Amino acid sequence: MASKLLMVDMPELMEKILKNLNNEIDSLYSCALVSRYWCKIAIPILWQDPFSFDEHYSLIPKYFSSLSEDTLKECGLNEKISKTLFDYAKFLKVLDLDCFERMVKQWNCIEHFEYTYIEYIEYIEQDDWKKCPSTNLLVNSLLKLFIESGATLHKLVVSFHDSIMIMPEKIFSLLGRNESFFSQLQHLSLDEISLVKIESAIAFLRALPKYTTKISALEFNGFEFTFTEAEYDQLQLIHALIYIIKSQKQLRLFSIVIEETLAKHYGIISALESQKNSLQEIIVENCDYSEEFEVLKNCKNLETLRFRTYCDYKIPLKMLDYNKINTLDIVDDIIETREMALILEKTGISLQRLKVESRSEQIQEDSLLLNALKSFCPNITYLYIFNIGFSTQLIEVIGNLQKLQFLTLMCNVDDVQEEEMKIRVMQFAKILPLTLQYLDLVDKWLETYIDIFLNHCNSPLRKLIFEKLENEKNTKALIEFCVRKKTLNYVGLDDPLMLDNNIRKEMEAYVELVPYEDITIDC
Amino acid sequence: MDNGTSNSASENETITLKSCDGIEFHIDARIANRYTLLNNWNGGESACIPNVNGKVLEKVLEWCEHHINDPQLNCGDDDSRRRNTIIEEWDENFLSCDQDMLFEIILAANYLEIKPLLDLGCKTVANMMKSKSPEEIRSAFNIDNDYTPEEEEQFRKENEWAEDY
Repeated sequence: MASKLLMVDMPELMEKILKNLNNEIDSLYSCALVSRYWCKIAIPILWQDPFSFDEHYSLIPKYFSSLSEDTLKECGLNEKISKTLFDYAKFLKVLDLDCFERMVKQWNCIEHFEYTYIEYIEYIEQDDWKKCPSTNLLVNSLLKLFIESGATLHKLVVSFHDSIMIMPEKIFSLLGRNESFFSQLQHLSLDEISLVKIESAIAFLRALPKYTTKISALEFNGFEFTFTEAEYDQLQLIHALIYIIKSQKQLRLFSIVIEETLAKHYGIISALESQKNSLQEIIVENCDYSEEFEVLKNCKNLETLRFRTYCDYKIPLKMLDYNKINTLDIVDDIIETREMALILEKTGISLQRLKVESRSEQIQEDSLLLNALKSFCPNITYLYIFNIGFSTQLIEVIGNLQKLQFLTLMCNVDDVQEEEMKIRVMQFAKILPLTLQYLDLVDKWLETYIDIFLNHCNSPLRKLIFEKLENEKNTKALIEFCVRKKTLNYVGLDDPLMLDNNIRKEMEAYVELVPYEDITIDC
Repeated sequence: MDNGTSNSASENETITLKSCDGIEFHIDARIANRYTLLNNWNGGESACIPNVNGKVLEKVLEWCEHHINDPQLNCGDDDSRRRNTIIEEWDENFLSCDQDMLFEIILAANYLEIKPLLDLGCKTVANMMKSKSPEEIRSAFNIDNDYTPEEEEQFRKENEWAEDY
């Protein structure tokens, strides 16, 4: 007899279980086929975010049975549409307008007008969609359908680039029958705004707060043009952005990721004062320091800082006297080691998760960084370092992190001679803390020495990523590690299916081999 | 003894809880302070927690005790990105019990509003469904297929986009 939890008695719990599979579409599909009751719970989750992958455009016509005959005719859909088991439109929760429009275009061209894929691509490149009224009509009819079917969005990605047909500000005029369409919106992402669409963006941002004040994550992805405050429209856009920040009751995440460095912030950052009690995370790219950042000192719940390329290190340095940051994530072309060391000194014991990624070159003067890590940050549980020398100091510092559970490491080993390398790999393997359960050796830098590493590693690893597993000595070492430690559940590889069949079968008797992306843990 | 309404219970204070089958548990008062419903049943001699038997309550309290120093999440904190990918080793071992007990723990966590344990239990059950065929899931959880062949075919047609994801 099945537990009552999985039967009709407790739909809320069943839903809670299946929501854990929202990124596992094939598993959700299987669950929906288990029984009618499971289907009822799984289908709304399966259809909440259907437009994420272009190649699944075949789902578009499943919405058609809810469109009126007149609309179908107007859209040039004359074939008989049969009734579907569910009104799938009402399950929509995540809507990326750009992806949605692209998927409709793709379906219309390939399935409806039977274009070849190459013809479709040529059509896209011509960027001449307005000459295809049926696509435009279909996009708008489906948008209207989502609204009228009673869908309530949780995440919306709005695009204001030149070639998109949808005008997001027009959506408000369709809300008559479903004012709650935006009422549960928690995540709003504003994609890069083009000059041509600036008025559209302003109108949208001004209207949205009338329908929702529950946005907890707001992402602003900048402009497609060089911003100049001399232009009236551009200043109006800034005011609209400030308005949406201030209009929300509990913003927890704010992201400003822009292409060209913004030296002034025109009150956008200052507007976060209105969110000082709720703000927990900020993501910043291409930002110089300005006094506006002082406002973050008042955000007592701010705990996660993510800085992307070309950010002034003064921003975190000024804040850290006032905020207890537990997650710090810095990705840049070049890491400014001195400033980074000061940042670590200031975050100190509150820091638990740290990511430092140098994209262009090996981290210079890494001893400063490592000394700071060793001296001030004993509570690190997650460490990600990309592009650092494989020094004995690095090995020692990692060994000292007695709470470390997750480690991602990409070392530059060009300068280390082979014999020395063997010694360091051995030291590295032996010194890893006994708390470590996840190790990601990014970019195959330890590839040649995996056997030495595994033969000397005592950490109870449960997940190990080293992307490539080709020669016999590595497979043998991995099997021995599995047998010796009995902790390893997953090994992440580039493509496990590319492995020799016999090797794969032999390995899978001991450990599950999976594509590394499936088990990668982000900071 | 602390009446459980204060948030400042010290490490030495204990309170008594009784399961629906009459088994008493003396627990750290800080645990009861942390979870409102446990607190509600603290105090009276005859007070017992309905719907949760001793075997299950013992497991639930074991989990609470282990996690007593975990940071408390804000209400509405649903940053699933991190929690979705990680189940701590201790938790994984803790829930490596038989299926009936796992479901009982989930029901008790739901009843007692112990959200992190509820989330953990639900994730564990979801992991048991991952990458399995409908037949394998039915067999793992003892569920009958009540689809008619026609319904099943229609379902497959309408959702074929998700089949080979």
